Amino acid sequence: MSDAVMPAAKKMLDFAIDGVPMQAVDGQTVIQAARANGVEIPHFCWHPQLSVPGNCRICMVEIEQDSGDPWFDIACNMPVTAGMRVLTKSEKIKTLNQDTMQFITLNHPVDCGVCNKSGECLLQDYHYELNGAASKSRDPKTHATKFFPLSDRIMLDNERCIMCTLCVRFTNEVSGSKALGAVNRGDHALIRPAEDADFNLDVYSDNVIDLCPVGALLSTELMTHARVWYLQATKSVCPGCERGCSIDVWHRKHEWKLNALDPRLNTTIDRITPHENPEVNGLWVCNKARDLAQLFERPRAEQSLQRGAPVDLSAAIAAAAKLMAAAKKPVAIVSSWGSNEELAAFHAAFGTTVPGFVKADHLPLPGEVIEDHLLIKPDKNPNRKAALALYPALPERVSDALPADTDVVLVWGEGFDSALVPSGAKVIRLDSYAHAANSTADVFIPISVQTERNGHYTNFKGVVTPFEACFPVKPSIVHAEALFTALAAGTPV
Amino acid sequence: MKFFMNFPVTETSHTLVEYRTRLGYQALEKALRMTPTDVTKEVAAAGLLGHGGAAFPAGRKWGVVKLGDGEPHYVCMNADEGEPGTFKDRWLMECVPHMALEGLIIGSYALEGRHAFIYIRGEFDLAHRRMAEAIEEAYAAGLLGENILGTGYSLDVVLYRGAGSYVCGEASAMLASLEGKKGWPRNRPPRLTVKGLYQKPTVVNNVETLANVPVILRLGATEFRKVGTPKSPGTQMISISGHIAKPGVYEVEYGYSWTKFIYEDCGGMQNGKALKCIIPGGVSTKLLSASEIEGVTLDHNSAVAAGSQVGSGGMIAIAEGTCMVRLAAVIQRFYHHESCGQCTPCRQGMGWMERILNRIVAGGGRPEDIDQLYKISEANDGTTICSLGDSAGYACSAILDHYREEFEYYITNGRSMYDGNLTVDDPFATSPFATSPFANALVGAAS
Repeated sequence: MSDAVMPAAKKMLDFAIDGVPMQAVDGQTVIQAARANGVEIPHFCWHPQLSVPGNCRICMVEIEQDSGDPWFDIACNMPVTAGMRVLTKSEKIKTLNQDTMQFITLNHPVDCGVCNKSGECLLQDYHYELNGAASKSRDPKTHATKFFPLSDRIMLDNERCIMCTLCVRFTNEVSGSKALGAVNRGDHALIRPAEDADFNLDVYSDNVIDLCPVGALLSTELMTHARVWYLQATKSVCPGCERGCSIDVWHRKHEWKLNALDPRLNTTIDRITPHENPEVNGLWVCNKARDLAQLFERPRAEQSLQRGAPVDLSAAIAAAAKLMAAAKKPVAIVSSWGSNEELAAFHAAFGTTVPGFVKADHLPLPGEVIEDHLLIKPDKNPNRKAALALYPALPERVSDALPADTDVVLVWGEGFDSALVPSGAKVIRLDSYAHAANSTADVFIPISVQTERNGHYTNFKGVVTPFEACFPVKPSIVHAEALFTALAAGTPV
Repeated sequence: MKFFMNFPVTETSHTLVEYRTRLGYQALEKALRMTPTDVTKEVAAAGLLGHGGAAFPAGRKWGVVKLGDGEPHYVCMNADEGEPGTFKDRWLMECVPHMALEGLIIGSYALEGRHAFIYIRGEFDLAHRRMAEAIEEAYAAGLLGENILGTGYSLDVVLYRGAGSYVCGEASAMLASLEGKKGWPRNRPPRLTVKGLYQKPTVVNNVETLANVPVILRLGATEFRKVGTPKSPGTQMISISGHIAKPGVYEVEYGYSWTKFIYEDCGGMQNGKALKCIIPGGVSTKLLSASEIEGVTLDHNSAVAAGSQVGSGGMIAIAEGTCMVRLAAVIQRFYHHESCGQCTPCRQGMGWMERILNRIVAGGGRPEDIDQLYKISEANDGTTICSLGDSAGYACSAILDHYREEFEYYITNGRSMYDGNLTVDDPFATSPFATSPFANALVGAAS
């Protein structure tokens, strides 16, 4: 690379935090530089991807000076300068932090016991870390609206709100809906929907729940459903579109499994949150990802069928293998929801003997946003890119892929109409969900869903992201990856 | 020497015709023949200090803006005069609107601005109408708009009416309001002269500051400096109110005797009462007791040396017999009402202070309340985005510093030391509630 096209080297500045020498990139603020060097400065209103209002004042730091008194400012808005000596734990800063915590908790209700943010609340954490003192106020707290629905999905508890305005800035600067604002002044200030906007129409609205550092913004669904300490997160990938956002799937911890209630509650998705992935989705996900529970928890197919009659799993596999072995003109309809591993297994099993065509398992639903400026992509399948690397797309005229002399059609996944199969051809269906088409197939074998297996998806940009199993698979259900090998070899899984 | 109040106020004295008879717009003609840099140098040489309260040198503020940088530059006239006790800018806009407007045009020329803004307090009806008329007259006379006075310089002025929020008088909050956003102050850096209105270099000047600019250009910096003191040149408009015999707007030369101003020019206190204290420049400045202003002159250095500021020139005279606890509660009610609610210490601290003061006034004060008020003031000092939190703290702590015994009396007795006869025939002394733990509150409520 010639010098002319070499990017200009970023100027580095030497500075120190609490006596430890560090380096910062010129232009970084103290809070950014501290983070880059592994030092966490407390903050409520600061966010790496949002503007800096400096509202909360908890990130106050002291700057030592050779001549003159030290001075104090907020770390989130103060640029690092060469030779700067920052103190984050001086006596003055401790006092300021305690004062700020006194202010923040002044009118904040002490309702951690019933607050859904409890366990994840920054205010709770900082109170232990920075203050830990009882309130110095002897006057009653001011009260505000306890339950104000900001949208159908989000409930605002004004008494807990500390006016950090992260939610307002998110709708202004990221989602673009400009749906939220602040009304009134002083300690009467409230977050409210903008008069000319509808927060329901913001397809990224649920991100404000994660952004809220306290329990002011809550998911209407989760607030009556689960507490965070009962849950654990499993890293996964949103299959809602070809973006393949990294997510965390939250579900009940093993040690908190419910014995007395419906055991199915132990394998439900309690919430979805974004998992930071700068290459794919940054820090955000859309509401479709949040609603994955609705997608994954549709009525499952758990019983193998042979011409509509229940059969044992091994019998169904044997019957399907027999059909495949006897087929003279077989065709496979390949799922674009299969993982890279499943696609590789399929290709290894049938790659040279069975022609395959990739179908769209899911199409946009009525009213769904097709594409937008931020994350949402038009193809609503997570792994079409990887599937198309192995097989061509199913042509618009399906008969071009399924000639009249096709004798066996292997349909993998959802989104394929059995009526398109040439008459006389045998049909083997592999699916996870209950569909009427399952019972019309010659052989139906239930396969696992994403939350029951490990794997990888390749998104539209070619970024490969892993997902992990959160729930056990039932004995009557088989992993597609193992099934393909068995079908090709005619052996049991 | 009077710069502003040197003409009889009549029904037409605010018009362009009459302003021109008082040499109006001669300074503009002179300025337009100078280079913009020279205009700034002249203002800087005059030593003009900002008249909004902070007293920052206007010429230095103008000089920070880089000319010819290809960016639009804006000058904003801060006419959102909301400091309690301050009403001198209103007088200027009602009586000499062209003077401030001329200053705004000269300032915009000096900063190579194409658009200028006047942010006027929403409640100022007459001032708004007078300023709107003045702008209209200036456009008609070729003093605004395209090719001003045939010099090739063009300027448009936008008159924007605020919605009545005290904090919108703070420069950065004012710009946010002008941009159509909620009037919340911004953090500095960057300074407004670097990224101000619409993120472009912007100078915000008070009405009186800009009204001084034509005087400087017309007289010249050297002549201007002959008025006032070396460090505070010129005059100061002072609006005085409270228990003063002759409240109103006065123009005094910097360096004028404070006691002379109060006892001679303003006629002393109403009903011959003694002066208890002065809030010198709006309630945001620290009060000074009657004895503290003796020997002090009306200029920035002298006021600072005495422990306060000239501030916005909104002076409030308080007579002997005034309950300072109740005064503190009233002042704090204002700050609580006007705190914008953006940053934590001010948003929560203002309400907390008001609740404590209200409780003391209602007779339910506790001995620890005084220390708590100090503590809240201290926690607001220098920790807020704008200076509203600091100011409220200064106002309260200055009253506590001077009149702590009044608070202690109020807390101990559940009533003000200026209320009725507290030693004889106290109706509550024999009350069945006297021994109740809520006695203080009951007494306070009844009184």
